[in-house]
Amino acid sequence: MSDSTDIAVARMRLRAPVIAVVVTLVMIALGIALGGKVIAHQVVSGLLLGSIYMTVAVAFTLTIGVLNFLNFTIPTLFMLTGMAAWGLLSGGYLTLAGRGAWLVALAVGVVAAVAASLLVERFTFRYLKMKHGDATEHAIPLVSSLGFLIIFENLVLIAMGSDSQRFAVPFRADLHVAGIVVGVPQLVSCAMAVAVVAALSFVLKRTKIGRALRTIAENPDTASLLGVDVGRVVPVVFILTGLLSGVAGALFTVNYGDVSPFMGDNVGTKAIAAMVLGGVGSIWGAIAGGLVVGLAETLSIQFFGGDSVAMTVWGLVLVIIVLRPKGLFGVAAIGKGKM
Amino acid sequence: MLLEVANLDVRYGRNHAVKGLNLSVAADELVTVLGSNGAGKTSLLRAIQGLTPCASGTIRFAGEDITRLSPPERLRRNLVLVPEGRQIVIGLTVHENLQMGAYCRADAAVQQDVDAIYDRFPNLAARRKMPASVLSGGEQQMLAIGRALLARPKLMMLDEPSLGLSPLLVERLFELIAGLRNEGLAILLVEQNTHMALEVASRGLVMELGGVVLEGAADLLRDDERLAAAYLGGH
Repeated sequence: MSDSTDIAVARMRLRAPVIAVVVTLVMIALGIALGGKVIAHQVVSGLLLGSIYMTVAVAFTLTIGVLNFLNFTIPTLFMLTGMAAWGLLSGGYLTLAGRGAWLVALAVGVVAAVAASLLVERFTFRYLKMKHGDATEHAIPLVSSLGFLIIFENLVLIAMGSDSQRFAVPFRADLHVAGIVVGVPQLVSCAMAVAVVAALSFVLKRTKIGRALRTIAENPDTASLLGVDVGRVVPVVFILTGLLSGVAGALFTVNYGDVSPFMGDNVGTKAIAAMVLGGVGSIWGAIAGGLVVGLAETLSIQFFGGDSVAMTVWGLVLVIIVLRPKGLFGVAAIGKGKM
Repeated sequence: MLLEVANLDVRYGRNHAVKGLNLSVAADELVTVLGSNGAGKTSLLRAIQGLTPCASGTIRFAGEDITRLSPPERLRRNLVLVPEGRQIVIGLTVHENLQMGAYCRADAAVQQDVDAIYDRFPNLAARRKMPASVLSGGEQQMLAIGRALLARPKLMMLDEPSLGLSPLLVERLFELIAGLRNEGLAILLVEQNTHMALEVASRGLVMELGGVVLEGAADLLRDDERLAAAYLGGH
């Protein structure tokens, strides 16, 4: 009996990453075979865009998985990184850093996102937990995070204006692979997104804090019983959320060069779509979902024009959740305990 | 006394779950708390571990007042609860569950102690890399006890460990509990299985509606007809 169970478990572990890689390769191959270089190029840029969605989707899925909380401040954290970096750079605060100023600006932006995330934890989650016991049982964190989203966006709007601003990266190089042009910043971004998500996955799987987080995800009461100081571990989730959203914001800023107070909204909704598509609470689901949504977006622009993107993405989400309510890699209905 | 509970009150809103309860457990003693559903037994254990706040009263453990300490702080003083329903973390592997048992420890002997648990429970060793969800009820109970042992308890509290186990497994479970008692571990055992519990315990308490209605040496309680009355809920 134990042999067959072992194999079944091993299969389950292998399945998700293998499917993700195979689907990706098949998409690229199909793109090249059917549509030639134009489509292949769209597939590549879809995957690169998808890597940004993926990072944000992982941030969403982490807070839902561990805290049962749809954190609406994630788009704000994403935006804060870009706007803080642009503000520092255009304000001339970083002249000492010379040519590396844009890098310093983005790093400070990521730190700002982490700090803002901790602020949100302090005033939504922790405060509510003190007042009402287990805050995860309430919709209040969700509503208050929506409040934080709107307040942060409008504060930035008042301070920096509503115009879309140009974030110039003095750095441009292209690679030509089999006739397809790939931007080096895009490639670096994709690699960074994958590295950040892989690091998170490692932390969750292999470290003491990761085991504690997965235990809280399943049952905060059990975690407390085993000696996990839940109140101290929860901020770690918010730090990771800030880090993931901040890195995604920095990558977006470098690749697309535009920042605005509402830059997070579009990416945030796409990331939620990606998370639902992949299966709520599943890291691999968020990765697959992010890539699928990125691909759907660029291919939709190619075939149906720029206005069709939202229809394609959300249509796809609806089809998937009708056919497979748990999402591509989800293991259970929406709720706690699926890290 | 290792554990001394004095005038403990536990309330959930309007529900007065434990009323002015007194209880003590010596360092080498197995005390059992009996009573029907809703008598307040689980609330009592949860309050001792700190998972449920106590409204009034004091809890002293190893000579120290722990009434205001958090559950992790109590755990670090080697007061350990094996909860009702076992609360195995099914998303973690068997091995990871055991590692969680030693979450509060930072000493170098953890690995050695984990190996000792595998020696004690070969079934767990065979399934160490599997998710805990594949374990049978009996194996889950072994895992829950093994996990608790890794916190190096001075006092282990067990909340209805026999619940949902077959008669054969219940017998094995009580052999294990008696074995732990013989190794010198202090145990506070909450049970519905009155007969088995009084077999391994030296003293027993019977709870009803949050208070102690009967208390005494285990072999005397066994023959007390008031014990049966408490379970039937009548007088």
